[in-house]
Amino acid sequence: MNNIQYISERLWAGNLGNAFVVLSFVSALLSCLAYYLSSKNSSFIKLARIGFNIHGFAVIGIIGTMFFMLLNHYFEYQYVWQHSNTSMDMKYILSCFWEGQEGSFLLWTFWNVFLGMILKRQLKNGEWEIPVMTIFALVQVFLASMLLGVYLFDYKVGSNPFLLMKEHSEFMDLPFVQMGKYESTARGLNPLLMNYWMTIHPPTLFLGFASTLVPFAFAIGALWNKKYNDWQKIALPWTYFCILILGIGILMGGAWAYEALSFGGFWAWDPVENSSLVPWLVMVGAGHTMIINKNKGGSLFTTHFLAICSFLLVLYSTFLTRSGVLGNASVHAFTDLGMTGQLVLYVLTFIFITVALLINDKLFKVSYVVVSLLLLFFGLLYGYKTILLIVWLASSAIITVISYYLYFPKEKDEEALYSREFWMFLGSLVFLLSGLIITYFTSIPVINKLFNTEFAPPKVHVYNVWMIPFAIIIMILIAASQFLKYKKTDPKKFFKRVAYTFVLALFFGLACSIPLYFLTNTEAKGVDTWDLISYSLLFVTGLFAVFANGDYFLMVLKGKVSKSGASIAHIGFAMVLIGALISTSKKVTLPKNIVDKKLTALGKDFDDRESILLTQGDTLPMGPYLVLYKGKKRIGIDVYYTVEYFKLNKENKPEFDFALEPHIQDNPRMGQAAEPDTKHYLSRDIYTHIAAADLNVDTSAKKKNGFGEAKNYVGHVGDTIFSSNALVIIDSLRSNLSKEQYEKNDSALEVTAVLRCVNTKNQSYMAYPKFIIQHNVVIPKEDVQNDLGLKFVFWKINPDDGTIEITMAEKLANNKDFIVMKAFVFPYINVLWLGCLIMAFGTGIAIIERIRKFKVQS
Amino acid sequence: MKKLHIVGIIVIAVAIGVIFVSLKNTSTYADFTEAISNPDKEYHVVGKLDKDQPQIYDPKINADQFMFTLIDNKGVHKQVVLHKSKPQDFEKSEQIVLIGKIEGNEFHANDILMKCPSKYNDNKAQIK
Repeated sequence: MNNIQYISERLWAGNLGNAFVVLSFVSALLSCLAYYLSSKNSSFIKLARIGFNIHGFAVIGIIGTMFFMLLNHYFEYQYVWQHSNTSMDMKYILSCFWEGQEGSFLLWTFWNVFLGMILKRQLKNGEWEIPVMTIFALVQVFLASMLLGVYLFDYKVGSNPFLLMKEHSEFMDLPFVQMGKYESTARGLNPLLMNYWMTIHPPTLFLGFASTLVPFAFAIGALWNKKYNDWQKIALPWTYFCILILGIGILMGGAWAYEALSFGGFWAWDPVENSSLVPWLVMVGAGHTMIINKNKGGSLFTTHFLAICSFLLVLYSTFLTRSGVLGNASVHAFTDLGMTGQLVLYVLTFIFITVALLINDKLFKVSYVVVSLLLLFFGLLYGYKTILLIVWLASSAIITVISYYLYFPKEKDEEALYSREFWMFLGSLVFLLSGLIITYFTSIPVINKLFNTEFAPPKVHVYNVWMIPFAIIIMILIAASQFLKYKKTDPKKFFKRVAYTFVLALFFGLACSIPLYFLTNTEAKGVDTWDLISYSLLFVTGLFAVFANGDYFLMVLKGKVSKSGASIAHIGFAMVLIGALISTSKKVTLPKNIVDKKLTALGKDFDDRESILLTQGDTLPMGPYLVLYKGKKRIGIDVYYTVEYFKLNKENKPEFDFALEPHIQDNPRMGQAAEPDTKHYLSRDIYTHIAAADLNVDTSAKKKNGFGEAKNYVGHVGDTIFSSNALVIIDSLRSNLSKEQYEKNDSALEVTAVLRCVNTKNQSYMAYPKFIIQHNVVIPKEDVQNDLGLKFVFWKINPDDGTIEITMAEKLANNKDFIVMKAFVFPYINVLWLGCLIMAFGTGIAIIERIRKFKVQS
Repeated sequence: MKKLHIVGIIVIAVAIGVIFVSLKNTSTYADFTEAISNPDKEYHVVGKLDKDQPQIYDPKINADQFMFTLIDNKGVHKQVVLHKSKPQDFEKSEQIVLIGKIEGNEFHANDILMKCPSKYNDNKAQIK
């Protein structure tokens, strides 16, 4: 590294940023230690609080410096260079900030600071301040270390966002870096992130991730203080807050995928999606066991377990998505910043702390700590990391079970079968189990790495098959358990109460789902009868959940909104699942209905089409519509393709219905990205995107009947030439004279190349260009294959090696402007979005209600 | 606690069941040689685009068929028929994962995942 400062380099910004980075790490460490010590000596508490405040200041300082650099185009810095450029719209500057890993870690750190500050005030001088804030500060130590970018014994700790281009190992040797040409080369933002969802989705999601830390910190604090019963009422509003924000964040991601990405849907069971869903599922479980605990006591171990798991799963998913371990398992390409080891260590440390705190016996605890550290050093020094890791994880799991039996307070009475707590507890377990199964599926690349296996990640269908039964169980539990009372309920009354809504749901559910799934075609691939039955069951039980909670809301709670957070949220959740079920399972691929009969005859593969080719000016039927590709226009780097939709009116004449403009972003540095355009109706969406198209807008110069540039090909008989629409095989050469005859006589030699052109339909067309020599003058005679629009000129024979030379030109009309478009109908997808809003509303009410109750109590 | 014990046993049983069932049915990463020896099974084949061989995509005939040649990680070349439209920026891909099986002399893929250099860094993005 050299310390020369070049002209126009603004090193002060990096220096300032780095000062903040170091300050944030040191102050977090200081605060963590001071909080820990203040549990023994209360005089440290002041130092701890100041340390945390300084840490917060430093984090805001880092963020401020980075925004300053981004806004003022300090391209000599790698982060600015990589994630922004001068040609982009500055309204996406926020997306630039969190596009990179360092930025998203910062976002996470920032939210932790934000929540930590609020908690610090809320808990001030209370018994929970010290344990909770120690954990908070410890997590901040780890997060702050992610930005350090220093080397510790050859091992890189963190990735620094204030690295200069000339310091970055990947770029330092590149010529433009050595010449200091930063601005013109700046990479810019990924085109897919230039979307308004991308300015609100990441901060929401990361606030959700950050808020999993609150229940975690309380649970760990409870293990530490051995006060297992006191924290739930303080943590409950926070837990609901986490469920709300994380849930909204996940669904915003779905909305973004639906609007800006072209995979045709809102959910694809992608590792990134899964790893944010799983902590949410587990947190929902934790939220419910906490209510049990508050209302009736008990479920202590499960509450602690779920609250801790949710945060550990956030860490684990950070490891999954940030370490590059997913490799080719995901359509997302993850860059490895060389922090895999650090991330693993991070996850393991918090598992270690949890298990160590669970053990009450001093000797047992010390031996666990010593053995763990020994295993760690042995692993680092001698290898066998996989075996050691598995041994350690397994023994930690066993110790957890043992300490549960030895040390943990347990309920004496068994829960009654007809009690709310029993079924609510069961529901929490179902959430945990489904989360673990998703984690397992998502972790298959990790399993491959650990055990050298070659399992491919499961497909979307596998996830659906496994998750639908869980969803069905959850729907039933959501519907029925509210009608059960805590401790004990009269089963007769219960069944009578629930029966109404169940019969109603069964009636409506079957009336809708039988025609939906058994009387009409469902086109999704690989769906069998069992799937259809499970869809119907989910539909019926989903309706049951909606009806039963509506009943509870209106009849039991008398429509009192402030008390009905749970019922409203449950209705919303059931609607999300129903909307997802219908819109996905009954998704219609519009181009499917226009299959050419001749093509279907060729084989089963041909009727699988999902794209339609639209030539400019031609009108084609597509599903219930007639579609017309009008033309294209270019706005900046986006090329918009106007497609008009017509419907047949009563006189059977096409009538203009609507127009859609899917576009392709032609990003000069990032390549092309198709972005869909969707027509929204109340009952359905018509979703289209361009699969292939010419981006060149200027077509006026092309003459319709002219030929493009001829290309020369050299080959033998039997060789193949490739045109854009056919394989051209040099079948044989025919000559009118033998060589001797030609040499003796003065007559013309005529050699005909027999060209067999096979198009992609496997139809053959012949072309016969001729090579004629008369009086030593070559007069080639071209041949035009009109069906394919190909012109051949056979102009040279090389007697030395027996090759011939042919030029081929393609008709420009072959390239008449066309687009390949995909179009789907998503029925009732608005049920899903409406469900999201209702769920968010219900959860919000529950938070307010819990805060109110908590204030009344204290 | 008896009921909860039963519940616990069911939970563990389901978890173990999922592991076994899914591992049995899941497709695996493989090279062409393995896919050829087991033509009925679906595989994930990882490889690179053979840039010397032609890529045939004629949407006029079938917008959902694209043919190219892939070199797998062992260096075996194979003609691939992808039953999808040609992905954007296909030529720029540095690694391709195909999901499909061998039929006759060709590898028929239903799905493709591509990794493009620098385009889709670390953040969420999708190509199918």
